[in-house]
Amino acid sequence: MTSSDRRQFLRSTAGGTAAMFFAPSFELLHPRSGAAAPISVAVVGAGRQGRAILGELSTLADAQVLAVCDTDDARLQSAVRKAQGLKGYATHKELLEREPGIAGIVIATPTHLHKQVALDALAAGKHVYCETPLAHTIEDCAAIAAAAKGSGKVFAAGFQGRANPVYSLARSFFKSGQLRQLSHLRAQDHKKTSWRTPGSTPERDRELNWHLDPAVSLGLAGEKGAHQLDVFHYFLGRYPTLVRGTGDLRLHKDGRELADVIALELGFDDGLRAHYSCTLASSYDGRYELLAGEMAAIKLAWTHGWMFKEADAPTQGWEVYANRQKFHNDEGITLIAEATKLAAQGKLTEGVGLPYSSLYYSLANFVSACLENKAPACSASEAARTTIVAIHADRAVRSKSEIAIPPELLESV
Amino acid sequence: MLVRLATEACGTRFELVLDGEDEPRARAAGEAALELVERCDQRFSVFRSDSLIARVNREAAERPVRLDPETYALLERCSALQRATSAAFDIAVGPLMRTFGFRRRVDEQRESEARGTFELDERTRAVRFTSRNTALDLGSVAKGYALELAARSLRDNGIACALVHGGTSSVVALGAPPGESGWRVQLGRESGAFVTLRDTALSFSAPRGRTVEFAGHEVGHIFDPRSGKPVPLEMQCAVVGASALDCDAWSTAALVLASRDVSWSALLPRELAFWVRGPSGDAQILGPCSVFESLSPRSSTPR
Repeated sequence: MTSSDRRQFLRSTAGGTAAMFFAPSFELLHPRSGAAAPISVAVVGAGRQGRAILGELSTLADAQVLAVCDTDDARLQSAVRKAQGLKGYATHKELLEREPGIAGIVIATPTHLHKQVALDALAAGKHVYCETPLAHTIEDCAAIAAAAKGSGKVFAAGFQGRANPVYSLARSFFKSGQLRQLSHLRAQDHKKTSWRTPGSTPERDRELNWHLDPAVSLGLAGEKGAHQLDVFHYFLGRYPTLVRGTGDLRLHKDGRELADVIALELGFDDGLRAHYSCTLASSYDGRYELLAGEMAAIKLAWTHGWMFKEADAPTQGWEVYANRQKFHNDEGITLIAEATKLAAQGKLTEGVGLPYSSLYYSLANFVSACLENKAPACSASEAARTTIVAIHADRAVRSKSEIAIPPELLESV
Repeated sequence: MLVRLATEACGTRFELVLDGEDEPRARAAGEAALELVERCDQRFSVFRSDSLIARVNREAAERPVRLDPETYALLERCSALQRATSAAFDIAVGPLMRTFGFRRRVDEQRESEARGTFELDERTRAVRFTSRNTALDLGSVAKGYALELAARSLRDNGIACALVHGGTSSVVALGAPPGESGWRVQLGRESGAFVTLRDTALSFSAPRGRTVEFAGHEVGHIFDPRSGKPVPLEMQCAVVGASALDCDAWSTAALVLASRDVSWSALLPRELAFWVRGPSGDAQILGPCSVFESLSPRSSTPR
C-alpha cells in the first residue's frame, strides 16, 4: 500500500467507522420533503429575528414566503423591499383576513405578543411556528399549548437545539450511556452588548426595547437562558424542581432595571445541578452548553460539538482517526455531522461544523412537518414547559432567592 | 459624545467611531450596524462551514443552490462588475486562492480540473457552477458590502457623523467630525499621503497586504483572474467613491488592469477617483473627482 493509498484508506476508515457513532442521516442534514409544491408562509414580526427568519426561509426550496407583517411601517417596508415581491401588512389580523390561502404563520413578535397571534392563527386553520420563549406568563403558555393541542395543525416552537443535527447526534451519544453517571450541567451566554435597539422616538425606543421592560420581559434568564435550558430538558427528558438565581447591573447603567449579569443554579430531583450564567458585560468564552459525566463530557456550541473523554473511559476503535481540537489542557473529539458522506468526498475536515445555521434546521423541520403532517421537533407543550422553568428562573433572579418549580405545573401543559 | 465599538468579522477587525448626543442610543445604533457586519461574516465567510458561501461552494457544482434575495442581488452586482472590469475583478477566484496557499486546499482531484465560473438563474434565484473546480471567494468585496450595510443602518438610525472601517483597508465616512471638513485618512503606512472623506467610501488594495511563500517567491493575495498570475508586490491602489463595494472591487480590478500590458484607463468609471502606484513606484491619479487634490506627503500622524 502506498502512503497515498494509506492516507486515503485511513480517511475513509475514519469517516466510515466514526459514522457509526457520529453521523446523523443525510436527510437530517439536508432536510427536503420532496413535495411537489412548497408550503406558503407569512412572517409576523420584521425585527431582528424576523429578518433572520425571512433570510433562511427564502433559501428553503419547500417554503414560499408570501407576506410579512409588522406594526412599524419603516421596518415593514424595509422587509418588503429586501425580500422582493412580498406583501406587507400592518397587523396579523389584516394578514389573516386578506391572505386566506397562506398555510403557515411564523411568529417573530416580542414574547408577550405571541399568544394572541398564535391563537388567531390556529383559529384561522394555519400551521404555526412560534419563536421562543413561548410567552411571558404561565397563563399564556398554558393557553397556547391548549390551543395547539386541539387544533389539528402543526405547532412548532423555536427551541432550535431540538432540530439541530449536531445536538441530535450528541443526544444519541448521551442516551447510549457514553457519559455514564452524570456529574453536572453547565451553560453560558456571554456577549458584550447593550442589548438595545435604537428607536426613532423615545416612545418607539420603548417599544423596540421591550426586552428591557421588566413588565413584559423575562430578562436574560428567560429571553436568552430558556434556549439553553431547553437543551438540558431535551437531553434529560425531565425538568428541574427548583431554581436559585441572582443578578446585578454591572456595566449598562443606562437607566435600565433588569440585570446585565445573572447566574442560575437549577436542581433536579435526583440531586443533579445545572449552572447557568449570562452576561451582557463580557464576551469571554461565548455561548455553549456542557453535560459532564463519569466517563466523558459533551460540549455543544450550536454549529459545533465536541466530546471530551476521561482517561479511564473505554476507547472505541474509531477514536484513533477522529478529528480532534485542543482546548487548553483538554482535547475534544469533534462531533462531525454527516461524517460518512464527507469522508467519501474527501471533505471530512471541511465538515467540522454544520453546513447550515441552527435556525435553518428549525425552520426546515417546521416546513417538513407541515408538508408531511408529522410532529415537529419541538411541540407547544415542550416549549411551554421550558418557558415555565424560565419564568421561574427570571423570578429567582429578580428576587435573588430560591424558588420551587412545581412538577404538576409542568405536567399541566 | 464619541462612541467606539469593534467586532471581529471577515477575518479582520471592524471598528466604528460615531458621534451622538444620547450615548445609549448611539451605542445601540453602532451595535446594530456591527451586527450587520457579523451577519455578513456568517453568510459570506469562506472560513465558516455554515456560511452561505461555504454551502454554495460545496453544492453548486452538483446542483443549483437557491439564494436569499439579498445574496442573489450581491452576486448579480459582482457579475456586473466582472463584465465592467474586463474580468479583472472576479469572485470565482477561490481556486487560485487555494493554489497559492491563501485558502486551505480541499480536493486535489477537483483542483486539477479546469477552473470554472458561476451562473445565475433569475427565475429560480439560484447559482450554479460550470465545473467542480469553482469556488466563490468574496474576500475582495465582503468588507465593502458589510460597510455599505453598516453605513445605511447608521443613517437609518439617525447617526450623521461616523467613521467605520474593516481591517483599515475599507472605510466609510459619514459626515465630518465637529469643526472639520471631513475625516482625514492616511493611505498606507508608508505613503505619507492623506485623503479627506465626507459621505464617501475609500478602499485601499496592495498585494503586500497579505503574502505567502510560493515556489520560493513571495506572492501577494491579488491575482489576475484571467491569467492566474499574481499582481506585482510593489503596486498599490486607492479608490474613493460613493459605494464601498464598488470601491473595493475597483481597487482590486485597477491593480490587475494596470498589471496587464494593455490600455485600461478607459474602463474606469467616471464617478470613482483612483490613485494607483505602479510596479516602478510612480503614482498616478485618475478620474475627474477632486478628492485626491489634497493628496500630498505629510509627516504628521493621522487621526
